[in-house]
Amino acid sequence: MHNQIREVLAAHGRMAVDPHEVDDQADLYELGLTSHASVDVMLALEDEFDIEFPEEVLKKSTFASVHNIAQVVEGLVKLSA
Amino acid sequence: MTESLGKATITVTIPGEVDGRRVRVGCDVAAIDEVQESLATFGDRYLRKVFTASEISDCEGRNQVPRLAARFAAKEAVIKAFAEPDMPFPWREMEVTRDGPLPLLRLSGTLAERAQHQGWLSSSLSLSHADCHAMAVVVVVCSPVE
Repeated sequence: MHNQIREVLAAHGRMAVDPHEVDDQADLYELGLTSHASVDVMLALEDEFDIEFPEEVLKKSTFASVHNIAQVVEGLVKLSA
Repeated sequence: MTESLGKATITVTIPGEVDGRRVRVGCDVAAIDEVQESLATFGDRYLRKVFTASEISDCEGRNQVPRLAARFAAKEAVIKAFAEPDMPFPWREMEVTRDGPLPLLRLSGTLAERAQHQGWLSSSLSLSHADCHAMAVVVVVCSPVE
């Protein structure tokens, strides 16, 4: 899952660094992820994992790190299973 | 406030209130090419996820993309004015409406409740854009600190 998330970040995150090289806990906003790019990342994650992000997870911290994204996506994948 | 008479240095911590009413400001910029790319990649899904039907309608026409970018910047400016980064911010609960030439902010749902809890009394919104970026500033006046 973490690799899929990194692929999505590479395609849509517009980050200043290669997402494949960043630590799970690294602050993605510090590495160039903008609020608007996080919308694209969210939409692409919905496509990738066949999920939908509910409003209660639409917060800055959800997209702050690969670890945080993975936690939220894992939860949504379980819910949709 | 501190004063140093020898060097005539004065340091002032400016209070974040006017006549006892707290004032909050939020601002943001959005890159127009990012909005253009999101539209090209995700189309209506992007629009419906971020903007209300009224906003989508207001932005139709030749300047659709910069108008959408300005509204996205407005939503991010509002998030900053709330100063609670860990709370959820459903984008469509923050809506830019118009009163003639003036943009207005309308909150709904959980964000309207949160604004009420924070004592928001009134807001003023300003939008602008150039070829590359759009920007927004929101000023919020809150009830006096109790």
